[in-house]
Amino acid sequence: MTARLLFRHETILAILTVIALFVLSMLSDKFFTVDNLLNQGRLMSEVGLVALAMTFVIVTGGIDLSVGSILGLTAILFGIFWQSLGLPIPLAMAAAIASGTFAGFVNGLIITRFSVPPLIATLATLALYRGLAEGISQARSVRGYPEWFFFFGQGEVLGVPFQLWILGICTVIAAVILAYTPFGRATYAIGANETAARFSGIRVDAVKLWIYTAAGFMSALAAVIFVSRVTTTRSDMGTGLELDVITGVVLGGTSIFGGKGTILGTALGLILIQALKNGLALSGVKGDGTIVVIGVVLIAAILIGAIFDRNRGG
Amino acid sequence: MTASTAAAAPIGRSNLQRFVGGYGQEIVVLLSIVALFVVVGAINPRFLSDTNINSIFAGNAYIAVAAIGMTMLIISGHIDVSVGSLIGVIATIAGTLAVSGYPIWVAWLVPILFGIAVNAGVGALVAYMRIPSIVVTLGMLSILKGGLISATGGEWITDMPPGFMIAQMRLFGIPSAVYFMVILTILAALFMRYTAFGRAIYAVGGNMEAARAAGLNPERTVVGVFALHGLFAGIAGILFATQLQVIQSTVPPNLELTVITASVIGGVSILGGTGTVIGSTLAAILFACIGSALIFLNVSAYWLRAVLGLMILATVLADMIRRRRVL
Amino acid sequence: MKKLTLGVLLSLGLMSGSALAASAWTGGDDLPTNPLACDATPGAAVAKPYDGGVPTNPPDRKGKKITVVDIPKLIGIGYFNATSKGISDAAAELGNVDAKTDGPTKANIDEQITFIDNYITSGVDGILFAANDPVAIAPVLKKALEKGINVVGYDANSTPDARQWFVNQAEFNGIAKSLVDNLAAEIGEEGAFAIVTSTFTTPNQARWIAEMAAYAAKCHPKMKWLETVEAQEDNNLSFNQATTLINKYGDELKGILGMTSVATPASAEAVTQLNKCGTIAVVGLATPNAMKPYVEKGCVKSVVLWNPVDLGYAAMQVLRSVADGTLQPGATTVKAGKLGDLQVINGSEILLGAPFVFNKDNIGQFDF
Repeated sequence: MTARLLFRHETILAILTVIALFVLSMLSDKFFTVDNLLNQGRLMSEVGLVALAMTFVIVTGGIDLSVGSILGLTAILFGIFWQSLGLPIPLAMAAAIASGTFAGFVNGLIITRFSVPPLIATLATLALYRGLAEGISQARSVRGYPEWFFFFGQGEVLGVPFQLWILGICTVIAAVILAYTPFGRATYAIGANETAARFSGIRVDAVKLWIYTAAGFMSALAAVIFVSRVTTTRSDMGTGLELDVITGVVLGGTSIFGGKGTILGTALGLILIQALKNGLALSGVKGDGTIVVIGVVLIAAILIGAIFDRNRGG
Repeated sequence: MTASTAAAAPIGRSNLQRFVGGYGQEIVVLLSIVALFVVVGAINPRFLSDTNINSIFAGNAYIAVAAIGMTMLIISGHIDVSVGSLIGVIATIAGTLAVSGYPIWVAWLVPILFGIAVNAGVGALVAYMRIPSIVVTLGMLSILKGGLISATGGEWITDMPPGFMIAQMRLFGIPSAVYFMVILTILAALFMRYTAFGRAIYAVGGNMEAARAAGLNPERTVVGVFALHGLFAGIAGILFATQLQVIQSTVPPNLELTVITASVIGGVSILGGTGTVIGSTLAAILFACIGSALIFLNVSAYWLRAVLGLMILATVLADMIRRRRVL
Repeated sequence: MKKLTLGVLLSLGLMSGSALAASAWTGGDDLPTNPLACDATPGAAVAKPYDGGVPTNPPDRKGKKITVVDIPKLIGIGYFNATSKGISDAAAELGNVDAKTDGPTKANIDEQITFIDNYITSGVDGILFAANDPVAIAPVLKKALEKGINVVGYDANSTPDARQWFVNQAEFNGIAKSLVDNLAAEIGEEGAFAIVTSTFTTPNQARWIAEMAAYAAKCHPKMKWLETVEAQEDNNLSFNQATTLINKYGDELKGILGMTSVATPASAEAVTQLNKCGTIAVVGLATPNAMKPYVEKGCVKSVVLWNPVDLGYAAMQVLRSVADGTLQPGATTVKAGKLGDLQVINGSEILLGAPFVFNKDNIGQFDF
């Protein structure tokens, strides 16, 4: 029955998204064009990549507030590795992504080894990682990357932005892992009831460690794409990213209490938000108005879901 | 190994141990503050000057006041990520009323009522519609922030009447904001401990269904605690608005993170059911001290945030290690 | 035992912190500086060929009604409200421009890029911008140029080839000289001072600080630069930071330099509330309205700024001239409505003028 309820939220969301797309394309003839939609896909890639990992995190009943800071730290380390240490770009990229992944691993370690609640642990590392980014960079930005590197953030493959391919592939992988593998089932089990999961032989700590490490990895991946897209490295990159990501995931129907949520929902949530941001701007609504609409839609979508849930479940 | 198990002090220990078990985090935070004052004071005695201590307390009192309400909310098992935006909106309403010629008590009271009303509404959505509080307040964050800028365009409010500036008033040389912080903390602590409603907040946060079985009305309690949180956010907003001669009429950046951090470092378990408002006030003071101390110690400003993060982490880890020992 | 653990942790944290303390000269960038002469000799203008970008096949916009969007660093602060007012004033005066201001609610490079991208798609004729980061904004501005859109910057520049023209409010070394000279006049050649800035990553502020360091070293070598603190664009934080500086240095601190229109009034407020008016000077960049109370009370003697309304006005006029084709690469001056002829410098920049110093005598005449 839970599965059917879940399906309902995604159905509601899909209907909402279709309505939004329809209304927005009526409001502006610039909205529903291939160019614009692909471009929007490019713009949402970084948030999307992190949101995939965040879905796992939230399904376990946890949260990761440090993703934006990991993005900033990775970006800075990438710049430093390349410019100051003189590593070739591919090596700098690999080293930076490894560092970002390690930052996520540290989150997981604090959470599992010391039983620190995820919210508190990542609140601390939110400050710590951003601080490291500022300290290491001394607030100086790294610029002047070679032209070919911009491919990751600005290039296209078969007419589709490069990072959209990455996002697509990662989405499929994440969806399969969460829905069809023992790891995914363990993720749900931890979120539903951690103690019960422990007693039924699931290696709770190991699963969590993997998930927070993956969140670090995805943030690091997003960092490299972001640097490539904007051609520079700054220590304040990714500030506030966590709120955008969490909004997308929660709008997608993942329960903040854990145990519920799908990658499909997250994808729909992200698409709806991006469509609203873009479509409203194209129809002449200013940025501050758009923020208000997104807030209303978030509450409304979850409210509708809750009402449906209630009528079915009683 | 959750916080609630740790807070229930084991029977058969000495009174001191029981006290430490119950108020462990508060003691950790208090000792950190004392240690900070001793160390920094030894390096630069000016840190201990009464003007500096006044500045530390008065300049951050509004954070402590907001953290009281947040603590109650988190104890009840909920959270409000929109509190920074709410404080921005409340400050702007207060300033606008004050410069539009309304009586000063109106300019103080109406925004507080607004805070209570908004949060009671949020509480109703949470309690009766069963929407997670983080979702509603994430939405409110956007609505309040966007709405505020749409309404004001970020126009600064200046030339407020001197009588309106309550946070700058002084009694016995101590800024009124400090009195607000201390008195509200004590009142809230007594309220949480000795009133039926206060205990209901703990009960609801501990276990909603058990609270219902015990004859409480959890929905009403949740709406009530949200309204209380609105009250404290309202008072914090007024203190925030009257601290300086100008109100920016935008949302203060990252304020919600600061307030939530103060609450959780003060010993509130994010799982609900435990924690005290004294702890959150102490934690707010600790943060203010750290911010000031880092400047006094010549920590390169580039590393400031990293050190702050390390210290939060150290406090939390120390608490976790302590809890293991107590158990 | 636990207390000990905590104590050790705490002091370790503090010590590692102090060990990391770097030199006091913080907050600048590492680009080369060009300090002006100590006397009033103007800087030598080096003739430079046009280095701005060129839009690809722009339609003929001469005399036609155009839609223009202005995307500042962030909306909702007094400074950009003032530039936005200047832009709409100019648009109203020109009569054939439909201008609006839109942008992120906080100075965020990613959001600003998204805003510009959306307006490119919506098909505007012209874009005015104040960049949060000169390099990060470049790709999206180049995209605008490729779509035939006229792009003009103001306040904060991008890399030159990503826009056509940049309206420069005042040169960095000119601002630096004005601030340091005014401060030196108030606190003496051997006075000690501290700086309150927004963040170390804000390009304009970092540039000014670097130029100030170079100019102070050259012309006021005995002035003592205590430190620079960050305070975002946040009133209360700026106030707290300034208060802490005053408490920390006591009588040693003679002056505070505010690098933003938020930090300067908040620093003045801190000085006022601690009863240090007259003993600690506040000099800085700020809008006159926010500073009037302090200047009129005599707590602050000089406020340095260009007129942001004029800056917005000039940017809009320049954009119209570019769209009309009357401003071409290689020009040496441009007509900017009521502001008269403005000079072209550095290849593709248009100079608004020298920085203006507000004081008790003239501040009442300005309202922005």
